[in-house]
Amino acid sequence: MASIDLYMFTFSIIVISMIVNLAVSLYGVLVKPNIVKKIISLTILGDSANTFAILVGYRATYPVSPPVQLNVPPSPSDVSQLTGLSVDPLPQALVLTAIVIGLAVNVFLIFLAIQIYRLYGTLNMREIARVKGGQHE
Amino acid sequence: MLLRRLITVSVLIVFIVLTSYTITALNVLGELPPRGLRPLALWFLNTSITPWLNYFSAMAPETVTAIVWDYRGLDTLFETAVFYFAIIASIALFRGIEEKRGGGYVGLSKIVRVVSRVLLPINIVVAASIAIHGTITPGGGFQAGSAMAVAPLILIIVFSRFFLKEKGLSKNLLIALRGAGLVGIGVASILALALGLLSGGYSFIFQNQPKEAAPTGLPPDVLGFPIAGTLFIFNICEFIAVFAGFTIIFILLSIPEDVAREALHGEH
Repeated sequence: MASIDLYMFTFSIIVISMIVNLAVSLYGVLVKPNIVKKIISLTILGDSANTFAILVGYRATYPVSPPVQLNVPPSPSDVSQLTGLSVDPLPQALVLTAIVIGLAVNVFLIFLAIQIYRLYGTLNMREIARVKGGQHE
Repeated sequence: MLLRRLITVSVLIVFIVLTSYTITALNVLGELPPRGLRPLALWFLNTSITPWLNYFSAMAPETVTAIVWDYRGLDTLFETAVFYFAIIASIALFRGIEEKRGGGYVGLSKIVRVVSRVLLPINIVVAASIAIHGTITPGGGFQAGSAMAVAPLILIIVFSRFFLKEKGLSKNLLIALRGAGLVGIGVASILALALGLLSGGYSFIFQNQPKEAAPTGLPPDVLGFPIAGTLFIFNICEFIAVFAGFTIIFILLSIPEDVAREALHGEH
């Protein structure tokens, strides 16, 4: 019983540390004026969310296996053995999709940031707002 | 300023406390960590490769690949399209910036160049292996393309960005490769539909294995190797597309800053 409690305690620490990670990255995206820091925070936000999704799909049993059928063609007992040991495959598939889309967004943001630097000579959002404001006056 | 910082920190602490409480104490995401499997996960694991239930099965030993390209295939198609549009937008942002070959940079030292020449073929073989074995081992087109894209990245750093161009791997060729990969994915998604229509039966877009009302399907294995019908083609095409996409990005990012600025200010 004590070992289960210790297990749950450790797991809760992991979950809370991920939530702290999310909060810190949200802080970076919303408050930091530098675009590069915003992009870094955004990647941390995405990666924390992805790790959390994988954690939700994990399975607290032992032994545990990846969702891959090793015996091809399988017999019904192979399939039931896999379902008895395997982790949830759906979060892994969704995270794969999320990684690719996150990558696409990051690529575009990085190229935008480079272009902004070339045009304004700074990556500070407040500076850019000031320069742009000055042009309109 | 101090008040603003105080409010920000308080909001973050409230966010952390409330989210932690709802997830760990109220179990809003269900039991964490789960001991059993959710019904949806059971369905995927029970049908990913079950020859006796072939109307429901994707016939892929790797369940994640089965979900990515069969059960949720349309989702992945649009995900690939998003990556494609991001690359197109990046190319559009960097339009008109072309560097003429000058003297100057001749790459890193001879030791690094020799070691790179030895390691690059291994890199390519590993990437191709990840793509080809995508239906039976963890991995697939995207992972293989990412692994393969390390090769041009090393080439750019070790030799120079002109080395790729001289070897024929120009930006336009890579855009064409990227397009070819996407066209391959498009063709694979309607392959069973075309076969079904030609044989006079019913079939649907993104069909892989035979279904009850649509008996046309692609073979689950070739010479004993499980290719899971269209999933193998999807993996190979995605491999080419992702490799080309990443290489375009690396080529664009390796343009020296003074050349880009010159081109940009020439425009104004």
